[in-house]
Amino acid sequence: MRVPATRWGATLAAGLVLAFMAGSAWSQAQPIPIGIAVAQTGNVALAGQEQVLGAQIAEEYFNKLGGVNGRHIKLVFQDAGSDEATAINAFQNLINVAKVVGIVGPSLSQQAFAADPIANRAKVPVIGPSNTAKGIAQIGEYVSRVSAPVAIVAPAAIKAALGINPKIRKVAVMYAQNDAFNKSETETFQSAVKDTFKLDLATVQTFQTTDTDFTAQVTNVLNAKPDLVIISGLQTDGANVVKQLRELGYKGLIIGGNGLNTTNIFPICKAHCDGLLIAQAYSPEFKSKINDTFRSMYKDRQKKDPPQFSAQSFTAIQVFVEALRALDKKTPIAGLDLAALRVDLNKQLMQGTYDTPLGEISFTPSPGGEINQKQSYVAQMKMDADGANGKFVYVK
Amino acid sequence: MTRTLLLQQVLNGLAIGSVYAIFALGYTLIFSVLRIINFAQGAVFTLGAYFTYALTGSRFGFNGLLRNAAVPLRLPFILALLGGAVLAGISGVLVERFAFRPLRARGADPLLTLVSSLGVAVALVNVIQYLFGAEMYAYPSDPFGHWPAAVNFGTASEPILVRSIQVMIFGVSMIMVALLTLLMNMTRTGKALRAVAEDPVTASLLGINTGRLIVFTFFVSGFLGGVAGTLVGLSVSIAGPYFGISFGLKGLAVIVLGGLGDIPGAVLGGLVIGLAEAFVPSQYIAYREAVPFALLFIVLLVRPQGLLGRAVVQKV
Repeated sequence: MRVPATRWGATLAAGLVLAFMAGSAWSQAQPIPIGIAVAQTGNVALAGQEQVLGAQIAEEYFNKLGGVNGRHIKLVFQDAGSDEATAINAFQNLINVAKVVGIVGPSLSQQAFAADPIANRAKVPVIGPSNTAKGIAQIGEYVSRVSAPVAIVAPAAIKAALGINPKIRKVAVMYAQNDAFNKSETETFQSAVKDTFKLDLATVQTFQTTDTDFTAQVTNVLNAKPDLVIISGLQTDGANVVKQLRELGYKGLIIGGNGLNTTNIFPICKAHCDGLLIAQAYSPEFKSKINDTFRSMYKDRQKKDPPQFSAQSFTAIQVFVEALRALDKKTPIAGLDLAALRVDLNKQLMQGTYDTPLGEISFTPSPGGEINQKQSYVAQMKMDADGANGKFVYVK
Repeated sequence: MTRTLLLQQVLNGLAIGSVYAIFALGYTLIFSVLRIINFAQGAVFTLGAYFTYALTGSRFGFNGLLRNAAVPLRLPFILALLGGAVLAGISGVLVERFAFRPLRARGADPLLTLVSSLGVAVALVNVIQYLFGAEMYAYPSDPFGHWPAAVNFGTASEPILVRSIQVMIFGVSMIMVALLTLLMNMTRTGKALRAVAEDPVTASLLGINTGRLIVFTFFVSGFLGGVAGTLVGLSVSIAGPYFGISFGLKGLAVIVLGGLGDIPGAVLGGLVIGLAEAFVPSQYIAYREAVPFALLFIVLLVRPQGLLGRAVVQKV
């Protein structure tokens, strides 16, 4: 029998409506979907891959512990790329199609300024796993982050450098000017150099995250004869700056910003990474039960210590899980519709205190969602003699 | 500006410029014969760097399909470089087979071949990421034994340092341009290539095997791309699958500036752009990417055939 096209259409529409209604009721059997929109492609895919891994470890770990009071969580991955448009697309998909309770992402501050307002308007909680620029938490009440803003970690590194060499007077600053995070980081570094520590800011050199040759900038830095160089860049460009500074004869101390806080820079600057000071929001060496577990789970997979990106995405999932647990105890989440659950979850997560691999964290009430992190870390890189491998050593 | 600083900037400019030149050589060779732009050259350049990495017996990372895999032979670096370049040459031939030949057979518009090569470039980059992950790779340190990190062109008291690898890239790009010029002007193959460039139909009527020469051209161009990819990778490490693509656009500026299809012109174009970039005032240095294109714009207005290109006589 031939069925008229209009009837097919009507059947399809009815089916969709039914499917939609079924989706809006929170059946007990379904795992709870949490969205992850990080850079799986593009030029920050490396960081994104680390974030995916951290989140997957969190999913496995918390589900083994019973998930949210017996109900599992399920991560829904959407590639946020390394640009704003892809991030927006990923957010819209997670909110409207995958119908997640909350989102972890995106990878870059630059993307967060574009994509977070969408989640905020839709009243979906977003936790930024690695957005450290100024103004992220101010995007809206549904936006929070587990990545400490640079204002907190930057001065600690300069203090550590002065501890190693108290004679530091002249400082050269280099930064990637095409990246929101690095611009905001360098402002913090520069004001700490001039205002907090009263040092002489001898030269400021700029570059782009896509650059590979920095000889011109290095020449200018060497001409200023600094005792300390501070670099704010991403990992590839930042590590190449370190390498080229050393190859062209710079002997003083170097501080690397947050972007260089990863063992992924070892293959590039090799033996030249030695002695590099890094302000950290995470240290694999930090002793706590949850960090030890996380570190060993990560090491089992990657045969190296976890970088900050993985620890932060783990933490973001942890915040969602623990907030969901607490909420479920107050008002069983099975009885809530999705919109109400998202709103209540956001309220709940802002109130909690979490014991995470980053140390103890909580969120500020005003502006809501800024991270309060108890510990901050400064590490110095110690490379093996052949420069192939190395590790972060805590500077007390 | 002191004399030392001036000299330092000139050498910096030549060093950067030779990287652009070495990249642009493969581009320009294909253009000189086929009058098409092969955008996949950037991806072949990247592949060459990865092939060399694999042939040194180094392990791949954990994020691609080939996680933790390694080729079970550890070639000395120089052999790995040549092997990587040969494999890159073969990749160039495959690009020709799948992206160019079908279109050429149909007599398609040159614009379509441009788009098709762009498509191959994007596909290749994604395949690289799928197989090897997005991580950075670096060759073993001191691949040529114990070299100093930099060469001093100044005095002990007023050093003018240039990184050794950059001196080497400069040398290799000069050798390549000399060999290519010899190939084009002194050999039978070169003569045949020039005949194909002039008019492929007439060339084949004269008994020249056009198809085979085109394959040869793509092989040589891929080979050059592979050598360039490895050397640039040695200088700044392989920054992931996108690492060659960023050179693509600048390479285009280089060959247009030098005169499309002109081999010494590609090297001159590269060096001119490198020098222009080196003299960007330090407060604007991050904007130096704009320099090659501004320069290109001016040259196109004043000398549309490029620095060394010959003006095309309009045939009536």
